[in-house]
Amino acid sequence: MIVSSRPKRARTFQYTALLLYMLFLAFPLLWLLSVSFKGPRELVELHPHLIPREVTLSNYTDALHGDIGIGDVTLLHAAWNSTKVAILTSLLTTFVGLPAAYVLARTRGLLSRLGLGWILLSQMFPLILIIIPIFLLLRTLHLTDSHTGLIFVYVVWTLPFILWMLQSYVRGIPRDLEEAAMVDGASRITVLRTVIAPLLAPGIVVTALFAFITAWNEFFLALVLLQTPSLTTLPLLLARFVGVEGIVRLGPLAASALLATLPSLLLFTIIQRWLTRGLLSGAVKG
Amino acid sequence: MRKTLGLGAALVLAVALLASTAQAGKSKQNVTNLTFATYVWQPTTVKAMNAIVDSWNKSHAGIQVHIVPVDVNSVHDKLLTSFVGGAAADIVHDEAADIAGFTQQGYLANLSPLIPKALKAEIPQSVWNVTNFGHKIAGVPIMLQTYNVFANMTILKAAGIKAPTVARPWTWTQFRSAAKKLSTNGNYGVCWGLKSPTATIQTLSLNWGGQWNYLEKGKWVLKVGQGERTTLTTIHDMIYSDKSVDPAGVGLSGSAVLPAFFAGKCAMTIQGNYQAQGMIEQSPKGFNWAMFPPLKGQSQNQAANPQTLSISAQSQHKAEAMQFIAYALNSQNMAKLSAGDWLIPAAPSAAKLVVSSTKHYGSWKNAVAAVPFFKKANWVTLGPYARWKAEVATPAFRQYLANQIDLGKLTSQLVDGWNSIRG
Repeated sequence: MIVSSRPKRARTFQYTALLLYMLFLAFPLLWLLSVSFKGPRELVELHPHLIPREVTLSNYTDALHGDIGIGDVTLLHAAWNSTKVAILTSLLTTFVGLPAAYVLARTRGLLSRLGLGWILLSQMFPLILIIIPIFLLLRTLHLTDSHTGLIFVYVVWTLPFILWMLQSYVRGIPRDLEEAAMVDGASRITVLRTVIAPLLAPGIVVTALFAFITAWNEFFLALVLLQTPSLTTLPLLLARFVGVEGIVRLGPLAASALLATLPSLLLFTIIQRWLTRGLLSGAVKG
Repeated sequence: MRKTLGLGAALVLAVALLASTAQAGKSKQNVTNLTFATYVWQPTTVKAMNAIVDSWNKSHAGIQVHIVPVDVNSVHDKLLTSFVGGAAADIVHDEAADIAGFTQQGYLANLSPLIPKALKAEIPQSVWNVTNFGHKIAGVPIMLQTYNVFANMTILKAAGIKAPTVARPWTWTQFRSAAKKLSTNGNYGVCWGLKSPTATIQTLSLNWGGQWNYLEKGKWVLKVGQGERTTLTTIHDMIYSDKSVDPAGVGLSGSAVLPAFFAGKCAMTIQGNYQAQGMIEQSPKGFNWAMFPPLKGQSQNQAANPQTLSISAQSQHKAEAMQFIAYALNSQNMAKLSAGDWLIPAAPSAAKLVVSSTKHYGSWKNAVAAVPFFKKANWVTLGPYARWKAEVATPAFRQYLANQIDLGKLTSQLVDGWNSIRG
C-alpha cells in the first residue's frame, strides 16, 4: 500500500503555522515577563534583549512591598478589592440580565423592540459624558467612595451589553425544545430549569466572564468614585507606576501587571471547559 | 423561583455588607480630620510627603491629615469631578496653570487672609504673582521646573567643547553651534522628545519675550510675534536645516529618548530638570552627565508654573488646612519634597538646603540658579488655556515639528483655535 506523504507535510505545516501564531500572540506577555526581571539600567538600553542579562527580583519586591503612595495599600490588598468588586459585579449582572434576556428573546411586541432599541441607544453615550451625573446621583445615595456604589455603576454599565449577548444566546435555543417539553407535561418553570438552563450554561459563563473582566480592568469610574486609599482597585494601583510626560517605572509596572493577569488566566483555565462545551449538547440526548 | 429570589436577595445583601465593611471610620470627637488630595508620584517624593504628614499627625493630635492619592495623569478630571460633586478634599495639590480655571469657577478658597506672614515672606513675589488671580491667591507655590540641556560630558570633552556655567550660560546660538559640531558619524548633537511640545515651546519662548497671550482692549488675544516665531523656527531649523536634532526622537516623550542619550547616539538632550532623577537611577555606571543652566536668548527667562497647594472653597476647616500647608512647606519640608522630584523649591531658603545636602552639587546649583529667571507667563492664569493647549496647540505643534505644516498654517491654527475656545 502506498501512503502519500502529503497529509504528513500538510500537518507539519499546520503545526508550524500554529506555533508561529501562538508565539505572535504570546510575545507581549513574554516581553512583559522579560521586563519584569530587568534592572533599571537594562530597561533603558538602546538595543534591548528578550532574555535579561542580569536577572533581578527587585521589581517584584517593589511591586509587592514598595511604597506606591497609596497609604498602606499593597498589590495584594488592591487585588483583593478588585476580586471582590469583579465577582459581585459578575454575579449581579448575570442574575439581573438572565430573566430580562429570556423575556426579550421570547416575546415579540412593541415593548420588546423598544427594550432592544433602548439597550443599543444606551451604548452610544460616552462615559465622560455621564460621569458627573453618575457622581452626583451616587452622592445623593451616599454611595460615593464605596465599593457598593462602584459595583452598582459597573452593573448598570455592563448590563446592556450582557442583555444583548444573553438574548442572542436564548434566541439560539430552538423554541421547539421548550414546546416538546411542554407537550410532555413540563411546566414553564420545569422547562426553564431542565431544558433552557443547561443549554444556556456556556452563554451564561461567557457573559459572566465578560462582566468580570470589564469590572476587573475598569479604571476611570474607579478613579473618579473612590477616594479612600484602602478601597483602591488594581487598575488604580497600576496607574501609580506611570508618571508625568512619559516617565514610567517600567520594571515594577511589568511585575505588577504580570501578577495582576494571573487571576484572569486562572479563571479562564478553570472555565475553559464550559466555554468549549457544545451549546446544544443536551439536544441530542436519547 | 423562590430559591432564585432568595439567592438574589442574599447577593444584594452581600454586596452591601462587603462594601460597608470597607468604609473607614471617619472621626473621633474633638479631632478635625482634613483630607489632602496629592499627586506626588516619584517614590522619593512619596516617601518625603508621607513622612511630613506622619510627623504632622504625631505632633498635632487635634488636626489629623489623611492623604487621598490622585493619579498624576488624571489630576484635572479627578479634581473637577470632586469639586462639582461637592466631595473635594480640604487641601488640593495641583499646578498654577490648572487652578486658574478652578479659581474662576469658585472652587478654590481665597488664601490671602489665611497665609502666615512668615510663609508669605519665604517665597519671592514673582512666584506669588503666578497664583494671584485678581487679588485672590488661590494656591501656595511649592516647586517649579525649568527646561535644561543635559549633556554627555565625555562626548563634549572629546570634542573640545567647554560646559557653560551659571555666570556664563550658553546662548541659543552657542548651543546650536555645539549641536552641529557634535552631529557626526551618524550620531546627533541633540535628542529632543517633543511628544508634548506645548509647555516646552511656550516656556522657552520667554527667552525671546514671547508671551503668546496679550491683553488688548480688555480681551486676551493670541499672537505669534517675533519672540514666538524665533523659538519655533530655531527648533524647526535644528531638526531640518542643521540636522543636529534626531528627527526620530521628536515624536517621542522626553524619557523615551534617554536610551539613545545613554548609548551615546546623541551628545545632549533637552529635558525638564526633574529628569535628573531618571539620570541618577537609569544611566549606565560611569556615565558622566551634567545639567546645564537654562539657555539664553535675549534672557534666560522661563515660565513659572509651580505646583501648588490650595484649599477647597467647600472645606469647613480652612484655617486648620492652612496651618498644615504652612507646616508642610516650611524650608526643611519643602527641601525634602524638592529633592525627591529634582524640582526647584519656590522658597530660596529651601533651595539653599537642597544644594548643600546633595551629591550632585553642580547640577543642583545650575537648577537653583534659574530662580531669578522665573517669570509670570500670561497663559498660566488664563481659564481657556488648558483646553486650548489640549485641543489646539499640542496637535498643531506636533504637525509643525513633523514638517507637515509651515509656520503660516501653524499660526492660523493656533490663533483661530484660541479665538474659538475663548469665545
